[in-house]
Amino acid sequence: MKKIEAIIQPFKLEEVKEALKQVGLDGMTVSEVRGHGRQQGHKEVYRGHEYNVDYLPKIKLEIVLPDNRLEETVRALSGAARTGKLGDGKIFVFPVEEAIRIRNNDRGEGAL
Amino acid sequence: MMDRLEQIREQFLSTADGWAAVHARADAVDQVVAPRFESAFGSGAASGVALLAVGGYGRRQLFPCSDVDLLFLFERTASAEASRDSIAGFLRDLWDQGLRASHSVRTPSECAALAANNIELHISLLDRRLLTGDQALFQRLTERLTGFYSRERDTLLRGLAGLIRDRHAKFGDTIYHLEPHVKDAPGGLRDFHAACWLAQLAGGPAATPEQYWPEDSRGAPLEARRFLFALRCHLHYFNDRDNNILTFDHQERLAASTDPALWMRDYFRHARAIHHLAQRLVDETATPPHSLLTLFRDRQSRLSNADFAVTRGRLYLRRPETLETDPGLVLRVFEFVARHGVPLSPETERRIAGTAPAFRVHLDRARRVELDLWPSLAAILRLPHAYRALDAMRRTGLLATLLPEFQIIDCLVVRDFYHRYTVDEHSLRAIQTLQDLAGSADPLTARFAALLAETERPEVLFFALLLHDVGKGASAAEHVAASLDLAGPAMDRLQMPETDRETVRFLIRHHLEMSATMTQRDLADPAAVEAFAARVATIERLGKLTLMTYADIAAVNPDALTPWRKDLLWQLYVAAHNHLTRQMEADRVAAAQVPPQLGSTEAERRAIARFLDGVPTRYLRTHAPEQILEHFRLEETFRRNSVAIAVSRRQEFYELVVLASDRPFLFASIAGTLSSFAMNILKAEAFSNRAGMILDTFVFADPGRSFELNPTEIERFRVALDRVILGKLDVRDLLRRRPAPPAQRRPRLLPQISFDNQTSAHDTIFHVIAPDRPGLLYDLASTFSFQQCDIDVVLIDTEAYKAIDVFYVTCAGQKLETDQAELLCAELHQACCGAD
Repeated sequence: MKKIEAIIQPFKLEEVKEALKQVGLDGMTVSEVRGHGRQQGHKEVYRGHEYNVDYLPKIKLEIVLPDNRLEETVRALSGAARTGKLGDGKIFVFPVEEAIRIRNNDRGEGAL
Repeated sequence: MMDRLEQIREQFLSTADGWAAVHARADAVDQVVAPRFESAFGSGAASGVALLAVGGYGRRQLFPCSDVDLLFLFERTASAEASRDSIAGFLRDLWDQGLRASHSVRTPSECAALAANNIELHISLLDRRLLTGDQALFQRLTERLTGFYSRERDTLLRGLAGLIRDRHAKFGDTIYHLEPHVKDAPGGLRDFHAACWLAQLAGGPAATPEQYWPEDSRGAPLEARRFLFALRCHLHYFNDRDNNILTFDHQERLAASTDPALWMRDYFRHARAIHHLAQRLVDETATPPHSLLTLFRDRQSRLSNADFAVTRGRLYLRRPETLETDPGLVLRVFEFVARHGVPLSPETERRIAGTAPAFRVHLDRARRVELDLWPSLAAILRLPHAYRALDAMRRTGLLATLLPEFQIIDCLVVRDFYHRYTVDEHSLRAIQTLQDLAGSADPLTARFAALLAETERPEVLFFALLLHDVGKGASAAEHVAASLDLAGPAMDRLQMPETDRETVRFLIRHHLEMSATMTQRDLADPAAVEAFAARVATIERLGKLTLMTYADIAAVNPDALTPWRKDLLWQLYVAAHNHLTRQMEADRVAAAQVPPQLGSTEAERRAIARFLDGVPTRYLRTHAPEQILEHFRLEETFRRNSVAIAVSRRQEFYELVVLASDRPFLFASIAGTLSSFAMNILKAEAFSNRAGMILDTFVFADPGRSFELNPTEIERFRVALDRVILGKLDVRDLLRRRPAPPAQRRPRLLPQISFDNQTSAHDTIFHVIAPDRPGLLYDLASTFSFQQCDIDVVLIDTEAYKAIDVFYVTCAGQKLETDQAELLCAELHQACCGAD
């Protein structure tokens, strides 16, 4: 099993959700996060004042899935989240040791 | 035992009599508990221990799945220690009988020693009942407690009031939850019992809360008690555990064939009666004799005037009978609440609720004689405690009388995963959210607070918030359109000015748009920002829509407006603000853009098109058609006299419109003339058309009230301005005669001057932030004129003591060179410091 953590632009959430649904993935955890990568923050000018926008609002998606679903999911996710500009985000993939459904103690991929 | 409990259940399901069911369960449990205790400890005095029922069980009110609260009373701690095993065995026995007991072991001295951090213990002992055991020991406890309650009465009353306040705060201080907790939420059963305890503490064991309730309305809390007892029994039987949340599913089930939303209104009516009862008891009994609160209330009592008395922090009418003869008093009451935040006394609230019919007649009469109701409502909305006033108006039914449109969302439950409150509560909370912005220490929130502080006519925004969701009462699916349909007649009845109505319509129509744009559009994409900015059209509307969005999200539930969302909202605001500011001077009106509703004949339309030719398009967006027509009509005077001046009063401010032929120093001269009459310029805008006619508008305050107290002064000003514009009088002479402004103590603010040659295609933009002072605008504008610069567009704004001015400037029709702009910055800086 693998865990995908993806940081994407907030306005891409609906598109990404739709793309994941197309490849048969419904379950995910969504969080509102703030941060920056190479995009860095930027300076915004308001009424002649400059102020720093250090951390930009982003969305973090977390998905755990069987190994054999990984490639198509990453393809769907990155395809939907891409604008081609700086700030599109990142996808991280981690190995997952175990999954347990709390309700009935199902384990492994059956618990996903 | 089980059979008996099943019988009680069946009886309840057929009669829905919760009061009978809880008493029957308590009796049934008595039958189980007492014999088992006696077999474990012996009976009567021989046992050396008394078994007490406390809390709900002590009151003989045991809900189907509630715990059985027991207290083992021993004479001495040592005997309690020795009985540990017997107690454990006894409790196991009860568990085997299916009874969940929670117990405590105490001596009479422990019960009668004040435990400041365990007020709940003392409260639970108010409802003590001897089940079995040593009666003499119980008697000794009662004697000690009588002395204890009398000695510690005030401490306990204050402690209990504190517990009530803390519990209410956990529920956002409102009864209006979509899925209420029927025990702990405000207006729940706990409030009813708290009222009983307050009454007992204040008036002795036999006292009941009804004694503190007006005789003619004692039925309401008792009926509510009946309703809530039955409701909690239903929930326990259905959930088969002590779960007291009235979920959407339960609402549907209990409403049966009725509309669940209507059924919930019944719930809120009862919860309101119980909440009032508890509130009243807190007020009547738990006022500390000497405390900061008392000092504060004493100070508040100095607010009393000819109409109202403020006593113990509550507002009373001096002559309640005048409510019948002077219905205007009702609105004055709410204005007083909105100004000072003093809540109505229950007495006043009841009396005002009783005047609703008379008030309705008054409103009808006011409409017939075209009395302006809007100014009265606007005055309430503008004040710092408007939320409190609106809440009191809602409770007394006056809000529904004034705005029947609000009635359809009264206590309305619209099922929604995110919303926590009923629709009416959400709308009022949205207003409260904005009023609470001031003074926030969080830098992100402070930005929105600053935006509100500089918002013109915030009452229009608050009014839009009041009505933005009324459509949910008509059509949950298309509520925006339905809210717009309902807001129209409301604004007609209030005879609101057309410009305000337009703003309200705009805000309601677009109230969901900003929140959707910020999460669904790329804010770094200029096209997305441009499309949004085009819909908003003006900076003024943008500010109001931003605040409306902020309030609307924040009032959904306490966690909805995360810093993340605030950040996104602010980013969209800044992006749209910058977009609207930058395009300001670029677009000019062409004949084809003139709105068709301007002008009744073809000839007039042509004349208007000529008048508007070359004026920045921003002018069309910031002025209503009737204002544009007023300006157009002034043009005739301008043609005849080479100058046209109009001064009009707009509520607390004045507006000056000047049409003249452009010449150097013209803008500065007008600003200087206003300053020489000691007027305080709050806003100014300069426009010009292709024919070289300038149209300058100034909004100014008259701090010395010279125009108001002396009407000929306006004429004197007009004549002086006319002569200044025509070059017959030097504004510097006027300024020399100007009375010295009073010295003011203000926080020190250093002027900040910057220029921007990038964002505008044709102009250099100067931003000036400086401490405001009389004559500042004249000095700044003159500085540009001395450098042979033309001011194309000027935006003057004043935020508290701070002037925030933006000038779009050219020199000989071109942008300024960098060194020239830098020189100007230095001179503007000098001008800002000139008067210091």
